[in-house]
Amino acid sequence: MSRVALSLLSLLAALLFTEVASAHGERNQEPFLRMRSAHFFDVTWSKTKLAVNEEIVVEGKFRLFKDWPVNLPKPNVVFLGNGTPGPVFARVESWINGQPAIQSMALKRDRDYTFKTVLKARIPGRHHVHPMLNVDGAGPLLGPGDWVEVSGRAADFKLPVTTLDGTHIENLEHWATGRVKAWHAIWLVIALAWLGYWIRRPLLIPRYVALREGNEKALVSHTDLAVGAGLIVVVVALVVGGFVYTEAEYPRTIPLQGGRAVVEATPKSDAPVTVIVDRATYDVPGRSMKIAATITNGGQHSIQFGEFATSNLRFINRAVPAAVAHVDPRYPKELLPRNGLKVADTTPLAPGETRKVELEMTDAAWETERLTSLINDPDNRVGGLLFCYDDRDERLVANVSGSIVPVFMDVASAQMRMTH
Amino acid sequence: MSSVLPHPTASSTAKAAATDKPIVNYKPAIFGLAGVLLIMVAYRIYQQIFAFSAGLDSTAPEFDTYWMNLLKGELVLLVCSWAGLWSYLWFTRDRNLTALKPREEMRRYFRLVMFLLVYAFCVYFTGSFFGEEDASWHQTVVRDTSFTPSHIILFYGTVPLYILFGVGSFIYAMTRLPRFAERISLPFAIAVAGPFLILPNLGYNEFGHAFWLMEEYFSAPLHWGFVVLGWSVLALGGVLLQIAQHIYELMGRMEKESAAA
Amino acid sequence: MSAQLQEGSVTTIYGKRWSVEMADLSRTLDRLAVAIIFIAITAAFHLHYVLTVGDWDFWVDWKDRQYWVTLAPIILIFFPAAVQNVLWSNFRLPIGGTLCVAALTIGVWISRTFGFELWSYFPLSLVWPATMIAGGLILDAVLLLTGNWFFTAVIGGMAFGLVFYPVNWPIMAPYRLPMEIMNSLVSVGDYIGYAYTRTATPEYLRFIERGTLRTFGGHSAVVSAFFSGFVCILTYMVWWWIGGALSRVVTIPNRLKFAMGMPEEKVVRAEQQA
Repeated sequence: MSRVALSLLSLLAALLFTEVASAHGERNQEPFLRMRSAHFFDVTWSKTKLAVNEEIVVEGKFRLFKDWPVNLPKPNVVFLGNGTPGPVFARVESWINGQPAIQSMALKRDRDYTFKTVLKARIPGRHHVHPMLNVDGAGPLLGPGDWVEVSGRAADFKLPVTTLDGTHIENLEHWATGRVKAWHAIWLVIALAWLGYWIRRPLLIPRYVALREGNEKALVSHTDLAVGAGLIVVVVALVVGGFVYTEAEYPRTIPLQGGRAVVEATPKSDAPVTVIVDRATYDVPGRSMKIAATITNGGQHSIQFGEFATSNLRFINRAVPAAVAHVDPRYPKELLPRNGLKVADTTPLAPGETRKVELEMTDAAWETERLTSLINDPDNRVGGLLFCYDDRDERLVANVSGSIVPVFMDVASAQMRMTH
Repeated sequence: MSSVLPHPTASSTAKAAATDKPIVNYKPAIFGLAGVLLIMVAYRIYQQIFAFSAGLDSTAPEFDTYWMNLLKGELVLLVCSWAGLWSYLWFTRDRNLTALKPREEMRRYFRLVMFLLVYAFCVYFTGSFFGEEDASWHQTVVRDTSFTPSHIILFYGTVPLYILFGVGSFIYAMTRLPRFAERISLPFAIAVAGPFLILPNLGYNEFGHAFWLMEEYFSAPLHWGFVVLGWSVLALGGVLLQIAQHIYELMGRMEKESAAA
Repeated sequence: MSAQLQEGSVTTIYGKRWSVEMADLSRTLDRLAVAIIFIAITAAFHLHYVLTVGDWDFWVDWKDRQYWVTLAPIILIFFPAAVQNVLWSNFRLPIGGTLCVAALTIGVWISRTFGFELWSYFPLSLVWPATMIAGGLILDAVLLLTGNWFFTAVIGGMAFGLVFYPVNWPIMAPYRLPMEIMNSLVSVGDYIGYAYTRTATPEYLRFIERGTLRTFGGHSAVVSAFFSGFVCILTYMVWWWIGGALSRVVTIPNRLKFAMGMPEEKVVRAEQQA
């Protein structure tokens, strides 16, 4: 019945809306959450169009940031979720560094992990699909999202499994729901019968008066007592009988599995690039972030600065071919700001060299992604990852974090005003 | 409690009944219940259509169109309906309750009971229907605002509605029934004020969700303020008991009056 | 026993003579009051239930042998105890327990269907509610037979805690079958909870199977149920009292009565005095 109702309501929604567009509220999460907690990268979606019952693989990597905000609990208990509008997909598999992520786990800051989630399309519509980490006390931390279109009928969805005792479950959606309804119905019928037995009599005032006048015997008869005793017998028999029968029916059951998974982090790179932020500014009217940093190349090869990634935005330095080559053409365009990353000095940083570098990211994306509201944050620091490419096109990922100062007015206009 | 037995003669009651309009008139209750049901069904359908399509991202323009505008409309309605019904009940009050005839008083008691029925029906939609539904929504999506498609209906749609009828029934009783005008009924005050306080308790709820609780679980102590205030609905038992006592007493007076006539 | 005997325009109810008109009015009040009580209890009891043990009731992968079995009956006995007091002490109606749990059951089913299933896409296999009616029936029957709140607390309260797990086992057992997924052992219930994403309610929030679980031969549920029954006894007593307190008819003078159609000086009418 509920399926029919669901179909009717879906039809009603479809009449008014050609498609279910389901973005999340990721833009309203505070910038410090998005800039300095989990940084997702190399994220791919195996497809963006699929039918009900087909599967999509979302995989990639994430780094738990070193400069983790002090007001967020540390990632000691983390669950790999999927940022979808609830169960529009069924999650059939999820892995972190090759280990099953059915349960939550402790992860380490300043370490990288790979992840993979397999989702089976369930509810038709256009859904925004993100990888997501839930961190105990910190809440959901969303990775980049892409739009995925699911076609077909929700009623056709099936999630079959086979249990270890050989029971084949055709569809988990409906597994044992008949029993649920039947037992509830049995108890409800008994309850309504008991209530009806009493409610059919004159109730409030007559009983109140009879009781106050000491005529209690008129209110509860011997028959009532016998019915009450019979009720206890029926209830106890049904409870015990149902339990014993079920024990015989399902002799091999297990309790809920509530443990924690253990996962090792990906080994750290032995050729680090260190970035010390000297001064970072955000030009509010110009929508431009400038980071002046002292960068040291601790590796064996010269490097170039190919990408700055923060809050799922990827600022690509188009002057570095390796960085451009790393961008999957199917990657969501709204997460690749058009102006990208500009580096004043394009000379590669030699091994062992330390240099002052200016990184500039100017784009309306700061505004549209509501990252400009970072000036309202109580912990005003910028954070992100700097992707460096060496002369063998090997990638080195460096943490970038430091204080940020807003610039509220255009300096040239201000000077003009002062001259006048 | 009076021990006067309501045992009139058949002819007297028949005469009184024939010459007077009926004591129990179900029409206001039927209209009230049907109206509330209509509003609630409309709310639920609205959620079905616009929650997933326009209610997931509070920064999106469609969220403003379909949800924030609804909220603004509800707030206007809240002020108008509260001011309208309560002031109507006040300004049309019976200014000479001592002259009230028993039969009219009985009529008013039944009207009060029906008022309470509509009140309870509204509370049902907050405490049960939309209350639990709130869990299904917030555990499904990432909460990014205090004004979610669930909260806009639950807290700013259904709660003001039951407050309207709860406070309305209280004013009705105090302005039209001598016993309630003479002395303030504490169970009645609790049964109305407790659920009313759920609205200001929302401040605590939103504070907690902003600063303490980033995940969604309903059993969180943060929500227990609602629970304690919800217990006050039990005081309706005291109100019904009080009404039953009054009605019984009134029955005696009606019988005496009929007998005298 | 026949509660009502009708002879012409006069009828006898519980040994007392009533005019038919007054009996009809009384019955009308009964009908309206039953509707109010049922709806109000559904609202308040449901609110109380979902905001205290709701998560265990919402999800099949929260219904564990420890906290669900312990906490749910303790929380569930609040309203039955209070309403039993109101209905038994004033009207000798032994239906308070059943009324509460039946109202809750209906309220819960409506919201699981229209909220969880039809709005948020959760299948019934994940969100079926627990049944608690057996406990309510036993409470009522014990109160009827003993006529005493103390014995109802001790016998009924303990039974209320004890029956919760076995009465739900026939529903739950199929969800405790073992299965292998991603080289790991989980129950079918675990997997359903894992598969149907609760975006903002991650796995680690499940408050289940904690502690050392040194449970005397693995009988976790039995130990939990027994402890629950003990606390139910105490909770019942407290809530019996609260039910009585909240339903007492207490009034205070109305200082503004002059504005409400009443004279400043109290009018003493013989009937009111009575």
